[in-house]
Amino acid sequence: MNNRNLSFWLFLAPALLALTLVVFFPFIYGFIYSFTDWNGLTASKFIGLANYVEVFQDAEFLDAIVFTVLFAVVSIILVNILGLSLALMVTQKIKSNNLLRTVFFMPNLIGGLILGFIWQFIFVSAFSAIGDALGIEALQGWLSTTETGFWGLVILNVWQYAGYIMIIYIAYLQSVPQELLEAAEIDGASAFQRFWKVKFPLVAPAFTISLFLTLSNAFKLYDQNLALTNGGPFGSTQMLAMEIYNTAFSDYEMAYAQSKAVIFFILVAAVALTQVYYNKKREVDL
Amino acid sequence: MLHGKMKSKLFLVFALLAVMLMVACGDSDDTEETSGTENAGGSQEEVAVDIFQFKVEFKEQFEEIIAMYEEENPDVNMSVQTVGGGNDYAASLKSQMASGNEPVIFNIGGPTDVEEYEEYLADVSDTEAASLALDGTLNGIEEDGKVWGLPFAQEGYGLIYNKEILEQAGINPEELTTFEDLEEALATIDSQKEELGLDAAMALPAKELWVMGNHLANHYIAPEFNSDIMTAYEAPSIDFEYGDQMKRMLDLQNQYSVQPVLSLDYSMQVEQLFSLGKVAMIQQGNWIYPTVEQMDAEFAQDNIGMIPMPFEGEKSDSLPVGVPQYWVVNKNSSEEQQQAAKDFLDWMYTSDAGKEFVLNEFKFIPAYEGYDADKIADPLSQAVYNYASEGKTIGWTFMANPVGWNEDVMGANMQRYLVDDIEWQEVLDTAESEWEKSRQ
Repeated sequence: MNNRNLSFWLFLAPALLALTLVVFFPFIYGFIYSFTDWNGLTASKFIGLANYVEVFQDAEFLDAIVFTVLFAVVSIILVNILGLSLALMVTQKIKSNNLLRTVFFMPNLIGGLILGFIWQFIFVSAFSAIGDALGIEALQGWLSTTETGFWGLVILNVWQYAGYIMIIYIAYLQSVPQELLEAAEIDGASAFQRFWKVKFPLVAPAFTISLFLTLSNAFKLYDQNLALTNGGPFGSTQMLAMEIYNTAFSDYEMAYAQSKAVIFFILVAAVALTQVYYNKKREVDL
Repeated sequence: MLHGKMKSKLFLVFALLAVMLMVACGDSDDTEETSGTENAGGSQEEVAVDIFQFKVEFKEQFEEIIAMYEEENPDVNMSVQTVGGGNDYAASLKSQMASGNEPVIFNIGGPTDVEEYEEYLADVSDTEAASLALDGTLNGIEEDGKVWGLPFAQEGYGLIYNKEILEQAGINPEELTTFEDLEEALATIDSQKEELGLDAAMALPAKELWVMGNHLANHYIAPEFNSDIMTAYEAPSIDFEYGDQMKRMLDLQNQYSVQPVLSLDYSMQVEQLFSLGKVAMIQQGNWIYPTVEQMDAEFAQDNIGMIPMPFEGEKSDSLPVGVPQYWVVNKNSSEEQQQAAKDFLDWMYTSDAGKEFVLNEFKFIPAYEGYDADKIADPLSQAVYNYASEGKTIGWTFMANPVGWNEDVMGANMQRYLVDDIEWQEVLDTAESEWEKSRQ
């Protein structure tokens, strides 16, 4: 027993050590710094909750929260609908199954910055060229307004993550027992009924995972945001992570940015944990 | 069976992780040791000078000049780290300082940075370069006879035009000194844009906050502060004495620009539109020269020129010229290191070999006396140098404006104005109140 304990901790130690060094310590330091007037070089005094009071009067930060939440809601819904549809499609008996899976997953292998720049080119140059050719006014000037910036980000995000989420849904769809589906078919259930009444409840655990992943991902999005719109026009498409980064590194208000980051952390943790809790309750065991 | 497989896989993963971690730890031990011995050796014979600089554009040339210097001075051991311009540099410099791995030479941008890095700056007034610095280039970095930094170079901006197109349209750029002249000229070009093969007369990259918030705005703000960077730095408020002219210039550029302006960025403006002859005129600075040269060397050499933006007031026909960055020496490094750093900077800007390199390889517009102006290669730098030597300049006071004010307040609100989100008066009002707020 003792021996087993030792090997247990021995194996855990490297990961635990790394985690402590690069996650826990900085986190605690950051938390402490958020109560000071730290400018990145020196922290001269504790100023209590002053930073936090200021955060809630910061219009830019509040705008970023609203924008991020909107973005998260829309993109979570779309990513999951598209991901599930793709999964249903490639689990049918069609010939090019494997090829399609690879193709759908591929966007996820490209780095966020590069994707951002590629889509920037598509939205700005390709869209306007197509718009010119077909005479569609709506394709002009993408990313130059808040609305097109928003939808640009949503399209990019959905395109990138739908394939990843698809893989998760495929795993669960394939583990749905064949006999249940056959029994349902014999009982005269239509294709839609088989999906809605049998498959759907059984893939519920996949929703828990997928929603959690897409949620935390949507909230923490930074590189795509940076490459695609860089917050423009006039800072209106700035998401939370970027707003915090800019407070820290272009306004040099490190401590203030830390307090924003703490609030950001609490927000994401609260939303994500609530979501997991509710989804867990809905899962069906076989 | 499956279970067993899983277990062995898990084991493999952990083993790998452990190895990686050990390698990582081992690595860091190694570097510490070597740097330790270097330092110990350094105090006897070799001086190690670490440079942390931001100008990516001249990274290779800079490394060359350092190799040259090391050859001449074998007892100096230099290393350069270059980190991309703008925000990234400031962020990485901070983390370098915080990690205790402080560079001996680094860059700062003006009075705001001087205040921030106060504890790190050594006085460099005893260098030869400091005594040779041109009038005005030390503004904002000089205090009570102490000089905190040495200027990199000078830069200037204005309206850069395509000679051939202007000629074809029958316009002499030298005569475009007032708003009326410029308006008329742009109208003429606009009316013939099909014959001239243009998309539009101008290109306003309104997506780039700095083009509007830093540069355009500065042309009509600096005169208010008498072009003095310290006056701007200490000003408790801003009145926008020339706010109407700023609006007029912005409107003019917008009216004759390729649309929609908010989609236009720097690279489209300079590369796709101006270098390919799709627009006649753009608001930019001498730093675009290498880019234009890459696109079309002949065009860059013979076919472009720069004139100032129009301004009604004392400083009409003047180009905004300033120093973008300064070299500073870290006070916390050892005496020998500080001396070696100063020697190097002196050598780079005042020795014959150094001067040659600064002009021909860096392609800088020198900020020091004793350079042969005829050797300045490109026409844009030449224009800047000429205006500067005739004293026809407006300062770059935007370097001393409140942190974030140029882009996040001025630039962003100009964008709002351009899409009719807000009125011009609101741009000015917000800017005024934000200025006062941060200067309290």
